[in-house]
Amino acid sequence: MAKAGPIWVHGELAPDGSLAKISTEVATLARSLAEAGGRDVAGVVVAADPAAAAEELARYMPRVLAVTEPATADHAAGAIVGQRLAALIETEKPSYLLAGSGPEGRDVAGVLSALTGWGVLVNAVGVAWDDGPVVSMSIFGGKLTTTSRLTADHGIVTVRPNAVTAEPAAKPGTVEPTAVDVELTLPRVRIVDRVEAAGVAAPIEEARIIVAGGRGVGGPDGFKVVEELAEALGGAVGATRAAVDSGWIPYAQQIGQTGKIVKPALYLALGISGAIQHKVGMQTAGTIVAVNRDPDAPIAEFADLVVIGDLFEVAPALLAALRARAG
Amino acid sequence: MASSTSPPEPSTPARPSSASPATPTPASTYRLTEDQAALRDAVRVLADEQIGPRAAEIDRTAEFPWDVKELLASHDVLSLPFPEAYGGLGGDLLTVCLAVEQISRVCATSGLILAVQELASLPLMLAGTDEQKQRWFPDLAAGRTLIAFALTEAEAGSDVASARTRARRDGTGDGADWILDGSKRFISQGSVADLIAVFAVTADDPPDAPPAPGAPDAAPAPAAPTTPRHKRLTCFIVEKDMPGFSVERVEHKMGIRGSPTAELGFRNVRVPDANRVGAVGEGFSIAMRTLDRSRPGIAAQAVGIAQGALEVAAAYAIERKQFGRPIAEFQMIQAMLADMDAQTEAARQLLYKAATEIEAGAPDAARWSAMCKLVAGDTAMRVTTDAVQVLGGYGYIDEFPVERMMRDAKITQLYEGTQQIQRLVIARALTARR
Amino acid sequence: MRIVVLVKPVPDTASGGERLRPDDWRLDRPAIPAVVNANDEYALEAALKLTEAHGGEVVLVSMAGAGAPDTMRKALAMGAASGTLVTDDALAGSDTVSTARVLAGALEGMEYDLVLAGADTSDGGAGVVPAGVATLLGLPYLSYAAKIEPDPDAGTVRVNRISPTGYEVLEAPMPALIVATQALGEPRYPSLKGIMAARSKTLETKALADVPLGDAEVGGAVATSKVLGSEAPPPRAATRVIREPADEAARQVVAFLAERRII
Repeated sequence: MAKAGPIWVHGELAPDGSLAKISTEVATLARSLAEAGGRDVAGVVVAADPAAAAEELARYMPRVLAVTEPATADHAAGAIVGQRLAALIETEKPSYLLAGSGPEGRDVAGVLSALTGWGVLVNAVGVAWDDGPVVSMSIFGGKLTTTSRLTADHGIVTVRPNAVTAEPAAKPGTVEPTAVDVELTLPRVRIVDRVEAAGVAAPIEEARIIVAGGRGVGGPDGFKVVEELAEALGGAVGATRAAVDSGWIPYAQQIGQTGKIVKPALYLALGISGAIQHKVGMQTAGTIVAVNRDPDAPIAEFADLVVIGDLFEVAPALLAALRARAG
Repeated sequence: MASSTSPPEPSTPARPSSASPATPTPASTYRLTEDQAALRDAVRVLADEQIGPRAAEIDRTAEFPWDVKELLASHDVLSLPFPEAYGGLGGDLLTVCLAVEQISRVCATSGLILAVQELASLPLMLAGTDEQKQRWFPDLAAGRTLIAFALTEAEAGSDVASARTRARRDGTGDGADWILDGSKRFISQGSVADLIAVFAVTADDPPDAPPAPGAPDAAPAPAAPTTPRHKRLTCFIVEKDMPGFSVERVEHKMGIRGSPTAELGFRNVRVPDANRVGAVGEGFSIAMRTLDRSRPGIAAQAVGIAQGALEVAAAYAIERKQFGRPIAEFQMIQAMLADMDAQTEAARQLLYKAATEIEAGAPDAARWSAMCKLVAGDTAMRVTTDAVQVLGGYGYIDEFPVERMMRDAKITQLYEGTQQIQRLVIARALTARR
Repeated sequence: MRIVVLVKPVPDTASGGERLRPDDWRLDRPAIPAVVNANDEYALEAALKLTEAHGGEVVLVSMAGAGAPDTMRKALAMGAASGTLVTDDALAGSDTVSTARVLAGALEGMEYDLVLAGADTSDGGAGVVPAGVATLLGLPYLSYAAKIEPDPDAGTVRVNRISPTGYEVLEAPMPALIVATQALGEPRYPSLKGIMAARSKTLETKALADVPLGDAEVGGAVATSKVLGSEAPPPRAATRVIREPADEAARQVVAFLAERRII
């Protein structure tokens, strides 16, 4: 019976075939929910070659179902994975499926929801357990946090990056190669080519530290110091819409209302005014530090620490101080 | 009173040929239609996002903002005043005023682009032939060409009828060309316009000399009746490429610095009779009827300037802290802001009402026109001055736009008839014998 | 080409007035002016560019409350030819499952080459509805498009799908459903002529009864989730301001970060 069924985690693949960082976090979360609720927990990986990702996921889970799906090598994964999961749910009868809230997770969640009729709670920044998942979601650009639950005893939850810190289980679990016998009826979308963009690293939403540049950076050359600081801090480079629209940095790194929403532990904003469209993308960050020449910039209102000064003087000084500290 | 010293004749009410309200507006009230509200909001967004960021630079460089003109043209804003038959949107006077107001909120120079396009096209709208409208309106509506209104001269400002620019017929016959000679001063956008609506003297006889004060009976009676002052002018469209037309100079001004104010020279400019607008001698009447319809456009500019200044002042007062509190909590600031808001709203409501009345063909259009321009211009000056005051020292420097708005506001008390002329018009309407 | 764009009116975030209804924690929609969801505008712009290049028209489909026609008019003013709005009291409080079913039902029987949808909505941000609609209709699903290139003669479409490290080039036969991203290009301002023309464009309103749903249940009554409560996040502590010269400021920042165990 689904009533006390297990909690499942959808393991996503990074482009190189390894397990995506978000899935390690979702897995950690699922494990703690399963403990709180006395449920079993398992992971599922559906991929052309699931072995590496499944093994990595097994460090966080007692049990991982690894489904080999050759079609995903050269077809868009969402619809295919969704169908396999729907079939697995039919036979294994888990109660809940947790996935990441990024594009991969959303695609799967959307397809799965339509195939099963399961409800979806999205963009969770926190999940607690009370005879089912209770989800915290940040809305209205961070102005409000709502708490929601599913009305049935089953459903899907998508989880934001950095909602929890990934923590492997005490001992690794087992990987079970699993066959799923189902006819794939949804149309397939062929992948004709894959293009790597130069210098684009991991998805910015997953970064623990983000160093972002805005209009004050002045140009693509100005972004060099932003990149150096990001590197020194072990973080990712972000940008405001102004910088992206001016062509200084790719859209993939845009943070804000029409870009990405991020919740890093540290958001270091260089030459960013903090206008509302950008603010909604980063205001829930753990710590916000800003460098700006203008003491009346909006970001000075909600940052934790503001340095009033020229970022082209402060940033190099900060870089030097960090490097000195590292020894 | 001798007719030579009388103030401008009240305009004859004329229904502009492009206006065709679907149903007669009830005389005592107006409401914005859904279309008008939608257009106003669309222009507001355009102004805030695309024009506002340019305003300070336009003022600083004092260059005509061709990019803003293109923006207004490509978004059909310049087509608002023109009839649909010629590619325009057929907007009524209130709609045009709504657009001018929204643009002027962020940039008075840019608001003037639409206001002048409307003003200078009015002679054609009021008195042009279908052929003339067909010839010029499509390009004007599309914003491909600009038109300016050349009435004022160095020695004929308020005293319009004393203009000296002459137009003589070259030869006999009704279709003969005209030769224009003279100069016009303080012509808005005169140096960037493709077409100039010029008002020139066509009466052959010399004008009545105004009697010297204190010499009532000494002047000898003229030998023959002279053309009355208000029948001496005729309106012509001069095209900028016509030989003999020149831009003599462009003024350096206190405000609306991005709008070029030019002195235009006409030396033996040959103008075909097909470019004559209205009848010979109808020029003064056309000018007065034009001003009746165009003054609300200036009032709209003034209301926009006042509103823009008010918004900056209010936002500043909320943010600026002194003595531990936002200055918006201090009563003297509150009093100023309250007066600014109430006066701007009053000017706005009078403008909207006036535009509605004029569009509906009210017989006292001149009174409405003069009133809304008088009140709006004085309001803009007062509100922008107070806005600078609210900002204190910051209001005086160009880090904030209110000093520019105060400089921009002043012109609304001067052009399209000084405030003093507006008062004469109103008083005349009030005290006319029946 | 005939392109359907799914649009959703959402509260205007710029107004800052969004709030939840205290009795049931649903979004208090009438309280704030509505605008077309920002991401849907990008989808609409992409659709308009495609029909400008390949001929054809763009039509809108939306599921929304009673006040929606005004917002739909803004989308029509951008250049869409007509729109269909499904509105019904029973739909208030619908979840993503209902929304996907209703939109799929509304699209049933319509002819189109492409369906475009925005990546997510600013008022609840689910991002799962387009995938659901594609699944229910059996359409190829191409998500997170940075570029869309249809080949009407071959009856196929190619999409650059943004991936974490660049993009993939996807190909599928039409009709297909594509999720649009901002990378497709800035939405145009409606011209004034567009605004005037929008008034005479057809905006068809359908009640739930007019939408083929089979046996599926939809609406607020069968919502699969419910909001239990809401609260403002704890206010941040007062900002600390450093005005020292660069070297000293850097020193203080490093100390601050160390203190917070970030480095």
